[in-house]
Order: sequence, then C-alpha cells, then structure tokens
Amino acid sequence: MGRPLVYKSPMPGLGLSMGITFTMLSIVVLLPIGALLLQGVNYGAEGVWATVNRERVWKALYLSFRLSFYAALFNLIFGVILAWVLARYRFPGHRILDAAVDLPFALPTAVAGIALTALYAPNGFFGASWTKTIAPALNAGLEYPEAALNALIMGLGFEPWTLQVPPRIAYSTLGIFIALVFVGLPFVARTVQPVIHEIEREVEEASATLGASRFHTLRRVIWPMLLPAALTGFALSLARAVGEYGSVIFIAGNKPLVTEIAPLLIVIQLEEFSYDGAAAIGIAMLVISFAMLLVINLIQVWSRRRIGYV
Amino acid sequence: MTHSHSLFGLVPMLSLPRAPVAEAVTTAIQEKDMTIRTARQPGLHHSPHHNPREGRATILAGFRSSEGWPVSRLIRGAVAGIALVVAGALAAPVQAESLLNVSYDPTRELYREFNEAFEKYWVAQGNEAPAIEVSHGGSGAQARAVVEGLEAQVLTLALAGDIDRVAETGKLPADWQTKLPHNSSPYTSTIVFLVREGNPKGLKDWGDLVQEGVEVITPNPKTSGGARWNYLAAWAWAEKNGKDPKEFVKELFEHVPVLDTGARGSTTTFVQREIGDVLLAWENEAYLALQEIGDDSFDIVVPSVSILAEPPVALVEGNIKSDEQRKLAEAYLNYLYSPEGQAIAFKNFYRAWDASAANPDDVARFPELDLVTIADFGGWAKAQPEHFGDGGTFDQIYVAK
Repeated sequence: MGRPLVYKSPMPGLGLSMGITFTMLSIVVLLPIGALLLQGVNYGAEGVWATVNRERVWKALYLSFRLSFYAALFNLIFGVILAWVLARYRFPGHRILDAAVDLPFALPTAVAGIALTALYAPNGFFGASWTKTIAPALNAGLEYPEAALNALIMGLGFEPWTLQVPPRIAYSTLGIFIALVFVGLPFVARTVQPVIHEIEREVEEASATLGASRFHTLRRVIWPMLLPAALTGFALSLARAVGEYGSVIFIAGNKPLVTEIAPLLIVIQLEEFSYDGAAAIGIAMLVISFAMLLVINLIQVWSRRRIGYV
Repeated sequence: MTHSHSLFGLVPMLSLPRAPVAEAVTTAIQEKDMTIRTARQPGLHHSPHHNPREGRATILAGFRSSEGWPVSRLIRGAVAGIALVVAGALAAPVQAESLLNVSYDPTRELYREFNEAFEKYWVAQGNEAPAIEVSHGGSGAQARAVVEGLEAQVLTLALAGDIDRVAETGKLPADWQTKLPHNSSPYTSTIVFLVREGNPKGLKDWGDLVQEGVEVITPNPKTSGGARWNYLAAWAWAEKNGKDPKEFVKELFEHVPVLDTGARGSTTTFVQREIGDVLLAWENEAYLALQEIGDDSFDIVVPSVSILAEPPVALVEGNIKSDEQRKLAEAYLNYLYSPEGQAIAFKNFYRAWDASAANPDDVARFPELDLVTIADFGGWAKAQPEHFGDGGTFDQIYVAK
C-alpha cells in the first residue's frame, strides 16, 4: 500500500485559500511574466542573445544594476537609521516625518523626476552650488590621489581610472543615483520600523547588565534582529530601482553608453516596433534580477541559521 | 399580521436607514427620538413651532403605531429614478458624432485652435457640434498605440514612417499618402537652431556646432520623430559640404550632453534648465518658445541647409464606424487644407501652402533656405531602417572608444 502523495491538511480552509492565492498570483504575476518569456521563446535563444550581447546593452545593464545596487545600499544604511529614529524617539514633527517617508510611494514617478531635475540641474537649487563650487573644489582635491592611484594601477598594466566627479548632478550618473535613492527609500525604512518596535527593552537592558558596551549591544544584540528585515528592504529597494523608468528618464541625460539605463533601451526597442528585442532585454533584466534576489535570499537563510532569530 | 409587519417595515426604513426592520415596529417611542436626530430634520429641538410630523404618515395597527414617509413616495422615487436612467440610455445614441485625432507632441497649440475653428465651421454647415478629441505624445508611441487598438479616426503624426506602421496593420491603405495634396502634409516645418540671446558662441551653421566647447541639445532620434529630422538635416548639410556625413553626425552627437526622449523634453532642458548653447528644434517649436518665454532670451538661427519636415495626416479607414463619422473625418482633414485651416497653421508657426487667408506677418517671418526633402534620402521606408533601425547609422556612431 503506497502512501498518498498529498496529505490532506488538518487546517481548515486550505483548499479555498490556496485556490484564491494561486488564481490571483497567476493572473497578476505569472501570466505577464509568462507572456514575456513566451515572446522570448518565439524569438529564439540566439535572437535574444544577439540582442543582448551588444556593447550598448551591456553598458546599460551594468549602469542600471550598478547604480541600483549603490542606491539600495545607501537606502539600507540610511533607511535603518531613519527607521530607528522614527521608532525610538519622540520629537516635534515626528508624525509629519513619519508620513513623509511614504511620499516617494505616493508621488507619480514622473513628477518626482521633474522635481529632482529642477533641483539638481546646473541652474537648480542644489545643482547650482554643486556646479559652481563643490564639484571644482572636489576635483581639485582629487587630482593628487587620482594621479597617485593611476600611477599604481597603470604600473600594474591596467587602464587608468578617474576619480573626478561630474560637473553636473542632473544628467550624470549622480543624478540617476539620487533618483533611485528617492524611489527606494521607503522600502527599507518601512520593513525595518515594525521590527524595531518589536524589540523589547529588556533585551537591551539584559545586555547592558551583563557588561556589554553600547556598541557591543548594537552589534551583537540589535543588529542580528534587524538584519533579516533590513535585507528584505534592501532587496525590495534594489528591485524597484532596477525597473525604475519614469523618474530616472528626466534626470539621466540618456546618453548612449554613458547615462542610458536598461529600461530606456526597452522603450527604444518598442519605438522601433521590435517587440522581440524589447522582450530580449526584458528577459535579460529578469534573469539578472532573479539571480540577485536569489543571492539575497540565500544570505537571509544563512543569517537566520547563524543567528537563529526570526 | 405578517403582511402589516412587512408594510410597516418599509416605513421606518425610510426615515431611519440604520434601524433594524423587525425592531423598528415594536419600539415606536425610541424610534421617534431617533427620527428627530436624523440629518434631514436638523435642529428640531430648538424650533417648537415647526411640526416634525409634516409630510409624514402615522400608521396605527391595534396598539402598535409606526411613523414615517408614506410608502408611495418610495414608489414615486423609484419610478422617477428608473425614468431618468432609461432617458439617459435612450439619449446616448443620439449624441454628436465623435472624432479622435491622434497627434504628436508639438501640435497641442495648433490643434487646440484648429478644433475650435473647425467646430464652428461644422456647425455653420448645419451639423451638430462634434465631439473632437486630440491625443498628444511621441510620434512613434502614438503610432504604436493605434497599432495596438487605440481607435483613432485621424492620424496627424510627425513622420510618414509612423503612419506606414499603422498602414501595415491594414487599417489604412498602403498608398494613404497620395490621398491628400502635398504628400498628405497640410503644413510643413523645418529644423532651425534656437540659441541664447545674442548668440554668444557665434553659431551660424551646422559646421559651427562641432566647435570645441559647444553643447547641442536634441532629443533622441530613436524615440523622437523630430530628432530624426534633426539628424537627417545635419547629414544633408555634411553631404552638401563635402564632409563624411557619418563622421560629422558622430562628432555632432559627441557635443550632446542630454538626449531627451521627446522634443518637448529637449525644449525644457534647453529653456528651463539652461543646459546647452543651441537647441535643434522644429521651426514651429522654436517660434513658440520665443512667444512663450519672450524673444529677449533666445534667438533663432537659420542654417544654410535644412530639411523639409512634412508631418503628414491620414484618415484611418479601419476605425471609421459610420458614414456620418467618415463625413466628419474627411471634412476635418479637408478643412486643414482650406484657407482658414492654412491660416491657423501659419499662425502657429508652420509653413503651410495657401497664404490667401493668412496674416501676412505670419507668412513673412519664414526666411528662404535650402531645403532637402525626405525623398533625397530615398523616403522613410529606406531612411528609417538605414539610419534609425537597430544597428543603423545612429547606433553605429555610439561605440565605446
């Protein structure tokens, strides 16, 4: 007598809730992704590779993922601090600040992009001082370290690097970075905040009575508890930044090979009525995103095993 | 008793929407207190002269009594409501004929004015006022929307190539461009330079744009119809001046710090963000910028060679639903060619054909210049893939050093 393959769950309501979940998930997520992959299958693996394996596409993908990673990293650090401040301290304007964190969710991305461009363009509020004073000063200061660094790496037989900052924030990679930080900020703050609320005071007090310094408590007690949530926030922020189009397009400058993001290449392919080409780049982004999310999930699993919490 | 229960049940339901039906009958006194509190009769406690029972009915059944609006009001209300809905449904089919004109970005002002004039003309012809809508966006994106099912009856796009895309779906005949005069282009424009006041960099012609330190603003030819005209105009100048055109456009685009996706975006970058020394722009867009911002901040420079940009118009056969709509759409397009329509085009800084009704000032502002046409490039069917297709000359100029 063989055992049944699927045991009936003792929990009531499994069938109905599973049915609803799978139906909704299929319609909302799996169907569009399936359509994308199907377009790629029709195009053929060689076609997809031929579209993706071009310098301009690689550069755009590299730019998109690199800046998204930096932006998510920035949001990870800044978002945790922000969540900590919002969860632990009470101060005038606390509720306003708390509500303001969600604004990047609520604002249409094009509005955010135009507003950021207006601020960071060379004639904008922040952009003007950057272009006139900060960037020249930074570049003057960086001349010697750059020369020293390049003497070293050229001695090792590599191409010289540049440490110079761009003269403009808008229309350079800096501008893209700022836009991506803006759209991704709420993810980390909002995932970490409830966890900080959950941490019991007694845990910290116990740590202190056992003789741990404040920094030691932060590192060995608080941080391990925050890490899984922070990583989730990081992954969400990264995923959002990679696909972001609306706000970046206004501030990027969109120069091929320099400030051209991968989603714009998809739009360009569509503009040429090349649905296959668009699907090919979309699939490439999907694969890279999937790999990155997988790595982040593995880190989460590893951290949970190691710390044994959450 | 059950009958009267259900009848009474309706009465308090009207006066007290939140009161449970069964309880309402048996608790008449409590209910009366609550009635006074309802929003419909505010402040009754403070006005003893007002009769709270006005318009209301009291129904007595044995020792039970209930009070509320008579049920007949409900029926009257329902009848009136249904009548309204039915009337609305009947009225819908007799509304005015509608028309959707799918256009490109810089024609907003032109079609706002033209539609007003056309509606007056159409009503004066003894027709009902039409409902004309215009949608604006990048020319290519607009064409794609129509390919994918946007029900436009009229297309007025930046490039014949974009309308060709729609024609490929069979929604309009392949020879659509022969249906109306002047290659179906009721108005034309060209590409000029918009420079900062006084032309501080001394830019006179295409060759000056590649001088050291000059920054050129143009949209991306991949995403903007207007930018393709810019690109081809630069190409034509280089050819006429004995330069390698591909080398020249490569050099030119090295001077472009920002490639916006559309013509309006580039104008914003140049005018509002103050980036760049020269904006390659539609002539109509350049004059519009002068009009909107004032001509003391910018000058228009006309190069020695430019291109005759022909934004064509077409009727989308496949989206015409009735003979009346066809009549309206045809009249709409023909009115573009009428002296009045042409005058509006002139007024909106387009180079139109028939100046008979136009303000002479609107016509005189256009200087003569050497204009090449898209036919010199072999038509859009050839120029589009050769220059702007995947791997075309525009892709070739962007290779890493």
